[in-house]
Amino acid sequence: MTGLARGIAVKATPARGILRWGRRWPVLFRFSTLSIAAVAVLFPFLWIFLSSLKPPVELSRPSLFGFEPTGVNWSEVWLNSPFARYFLNSVIVGGLTVIVSLIVGAPAAYAFSRFGIGGTGLRFLILAAQMMPPALFIIPFFLMAYYVGLLDTVWAVAVAHLTFIAPLVTWFLIGFFEDVPRDLEEQAMVDGCTRWQAFVRVVLPAARPGLAAAGLFAFIMSWNEMFYALMLAGGHSKTLPVAIAGYWTFRGVDMGKMSVAITSAVIPVMIASFFVQRYLVRGLGGGALKG
Amino acid sequence: MGHRDRRLGRRMVLPLILLLLAVQGYPMAFAVYISAHDYRLTALSEIRWVGLEQYRGLLGNSSYWTAMKNTLVFVFGAVGLELLLGFLLAYLLWRPVPAQNLFRAILLTPMFVTPIAVGLMFRFLLNNQLGIIPVWLRSLGLEIDWFGPDLALFSLILIDVWQWTPLMVLLLLAGLEALPVEPFEAARVDGASELQIIRHLTIPLIRPVMLAAILIRMLDAFRVFEYVYAITRGGPGERTETILFHIYRVGFLYFRLGEAAAMAITLALVIFVLVVLLFRILRRQEALT
Amino acid sequence: MFRRVTGFVIVLGMLASWLFGCRPAAPSPVTLTIIMEQVPDTDVIRKLLPDFEKENPGIKVVIDAMPYDAMRDKILASFMAPKATYDVIIVDNPWMDEFVAGNFLEPLDDRIRGVPDYDFEDFVKPVRDIGVVGSKIYGIPFYNYAVGLIVRQDLFDDPAYRDAYQKKYGKPLAPPTTLEDYVRIAQFFKEQSGGKIYGAAMQPQRGYKVFEEWKNWLYAAGGNLLDDQGKVILDRPEAVRALELYIEMYKTAAPPNSLNWGFDEALRSMAAGEAATMMSYNWMLPTLNNPQGPAGNLAGKFALYEVPGGKAVLGAWHWAIPRNAPNKDASWRFISWVTSKRIEKQRVILGGAPVRVSAMKDPEVWQKGFGQSYYETVLKILEDAEPLARGPKAEEIIQVVGTELNAAVAGEKTAEQALRDAAAQVRRILGQ
Repeated sequence: MTGLARGIAVKATPARGILRWGRRWPVLFRFSTLSIAAVAVLFPFLWIFLSSLKPPVELSRPSLFGFEPTGVNWSEVWLNSPFARYFLNSVIVGGLTVIVSLIVGAPAAYAFSRFGIGGTGLRFLILAAQMMPPALFIIPFFLMAYYVGLLDTVWAVAVAHLTFIAPLVTWFLIGFFEDVPRDLEEQAMVDGCTRWQAFVRVVLPAARPGLAAAGLFAFIMSWNEMFYALMLAGGHSKTLPVAIAGYWTFRGVDMGKMSVAITSAVIPVMIASFFVQRYLVRGLGGGALKG
Repeated sequence: MGHRDRRLGRRMVLPLILLLLAVQGYPMAFAVYISAHDYRLTALSEIRWVGLEQYRGLLGNSSYWTAMKNTLVFVFGAVGLELLLGFLLAYLLWRPVPAQNLFRAILLTPMFVTPIAVGLMFRFLLNNQLGIIPVWLRSLGLEIDWFGPDLALFSLILIDVWQWTPLMVLLLLAGLEALPVEPFEAARVDGASELQIIRHLTIPLIRPVMLAAILIRMLDAFRVFEYVYAITRGGPGERTETILFHIYRVGFLYFRLGEAAAMAITLALVIFVLVVLLFRILRRQEALT
Repeated sequence: MFRRVTGFVIVLGMLASWLFGCRPAAPSPVTLTIIMEQVPDTDVIRKLLPDFEKENPGIKVVIDAMPYDAMRDKILASFMAPKATYDVIIVDNPWMDEFVAGNFLEPLDDRIRGVPDYDFEDFVKPVRDIGVVGSKIYGIPFYNYAVGLIVRQDLFDDPAYRDAYQKKYGKPLAPPTTLEDYVRIAQFFKEQSGGKIYGAAMQPQRGYKVFEEWKNWLYAAGGNLLDDQGKVILDRPEAVRALELYIEMYKTAAPPNSLNWGFDEALRSMAAGEAATMMSYNWMLPTLNNPQGPAGNLAGKFALYEVPGGKAVLGAWHWAIPRNAPNKDASWRFISWVTSKRIEKQRVILGGAPVRVSAMKDPEVWQKGFGQSYYETVLKILEDAEPLARGPKAEEIIQVVGTELNAAVAGEKTAEQALRDAAAQVRRILGQ
């Protein structure tokens, strides 16, 4: 389009000219508002990271920069305390919970999306199940874990996390299976697969991104959970959130080490979150919301 | 759907049902059982049936009602603010802006951080002597008592807003991006202002998503525990005693499990009602798409 | 029905523990599992363990350290299991009577008598009395956390402050011995420094903290929670006066907006040079005076005194053996070893908080530890100290009173009203 033609077009539809002008100031406005929000989000992370590098004296003063950075907090936490073990505990709890949830949840979600099994009632129960308050389960779980002798083990925490992770994963996957075209499995069945084989060999691979996103999100939820972990495990079996809270002791808060623990717990989750973000909406809506 | 499909479907759902019965059904029944007994962890040999007495006791238990009230204030306050702020940010992110994807990625991070870490971070950031935020505010001539009796609950709400507005942004942005283009073009051609478009077009169109987002956040906000645990321990007085923290106190500090279970069940009922609402909205939404 | 299902669950659990083998049955040599809190005093014990294992080749010790809030329910669960998870536990003083009332702890009198030269009387009396319930001994002192008054000695010695105080009040500036003096001196520091240094870093956080701090004021005003007959006297005029003074102090001399402060905030405020005094645990002093610690170049300028009035709130942890512990002899071997005079001395030199008189009077401890005057002051504090609350309901009483006190400091209630409400609730809890 030549400049002349563009000029004519603008003249022909004046509304569009206003719109174009009107669009220009919001860009600056939008950019600056978003920048402020981004700073508000990033600032606490920056502060906690800087705190992890501060010597004890500086932690009593409200300064941000202007200190001699030291790695002593990091080496104390990672090399001279069982922090690596708590990290591993969190991985075990999250991994175990997610694997069981995927194995149990994927077929169920498929059945919901394809056969409408159990109707809306069952779907509702799945949603309700992930929303139930932990206060309802913690007392029975505590007593059961105690009767069974699993108190203060990662297994007790993993089982408790299944209460909300398993329905969450199932709920998430419904939407992703609905996105898998039905032709795929029908073609497979024409080729001689049974329905189950079609599910395992065709549908599951096709829904792989969804499965990964659901698993990763569920893992993050388990990783971050503190209530069950504090009540059911606390010693050798403590998970990261409990370990973080543990730096707040009877003899004072070890701010430097706590900052290391927080930073260490947050970084992997941050990285994982970038992969999860774009699948989250579809998942949270149980297929009802567009991602 | 064939008979064989149905049978396969049932078999595919069965493991999940069994798992949920084991990890949810049984504990829930157990909780009901406990709530009908005088069940103390320090005297497990003297458990006795008390029927509905625990529930009747809750009626006259002022701490319980204070905790319920605080929780409701927290839930409505937090979700309300998150909706406003979330809509604003989602709206700004909706149309092209420089570094859009970077903004998006950054703004979503807080929701992935463990809440206990968020609570502890803000406990120190907002501390009047040691925190950097009050120092800055003071240089502006502002003196704010974040955890005093008037503001403590509000401060916890703000922390929740920091952590969970991202989820609101995420859901609302998805809602906005799924909107059809035509009505907006038409409105612009008619010379409607930005605010008019938002009010009469955007909001009505994404209302179902909005409602779903509100309910998802509300259900989650009812579980607030970590911020209270990390910062105020329910104080000043009982100003920030939330229901989950109160249940924790009664159950695990005083070991009155029966009473704690009764409270948990009443909380579950409130949440159940909200889930019913959420489910109906999602179903309607599904019918639309 | 639940019993039967529970039986099934137990079978499952046994299967699970067989499969995962996460908790092997005590093999020979004996392994002792000890539940402890994640604090520096536990690290001191860790440092001593190799010596114990060398001296007792058949016994291995595993410490399970956890946050305070995770401990109590684990200990109770261990009590009720057929076989205890923990061979040795540590007991915070509010739990002691509750655990004895539940018949969970092993009496130790005979075992103490069986150790030559153990000298149980060497533990400071108020501390060892916490472990005595009825007429039997159930707990052996581990470490104390009695409250003292920590001050910035350099400020008290500063001629400018001294002269100004002398001129204003006609008497020398010295660490306070009465509540009125304390409030006045704190206000004086704040005024004289132009608001740069607050008079006292206080800890009015709801629950345990505010009660722990205020009860020192209550003692100084001549009051208490219960009288000698065990009747609640928390609403007497002495208590009202103590609370009113405490609130006056908070409003006029403490850092502003510090209503949710606990020990950590107060400590940091002192360390940053923003406060002239605080009531806190006696062992905060070495922390503050450590040049590598939080106070930096203020280290060395802090000193410890008895709280005004002289009588302090006493906290202490005790070692105890659960009744259902499988290897009680080995458990006792460890406890008697770690609390013996010889090891107590080493523990205190390593920085543990003392409980034995002999350790606090030992010149070697003075020299390798934190100096003679520190240990002498600690001993004086411990000799006149009383726990926050006793009896099987101590924990709940502390929470209830601590909530009311915090409400009064927040200005939600008058001092009188808050104390009346607190007293009423304590009476209800005690069934009076």
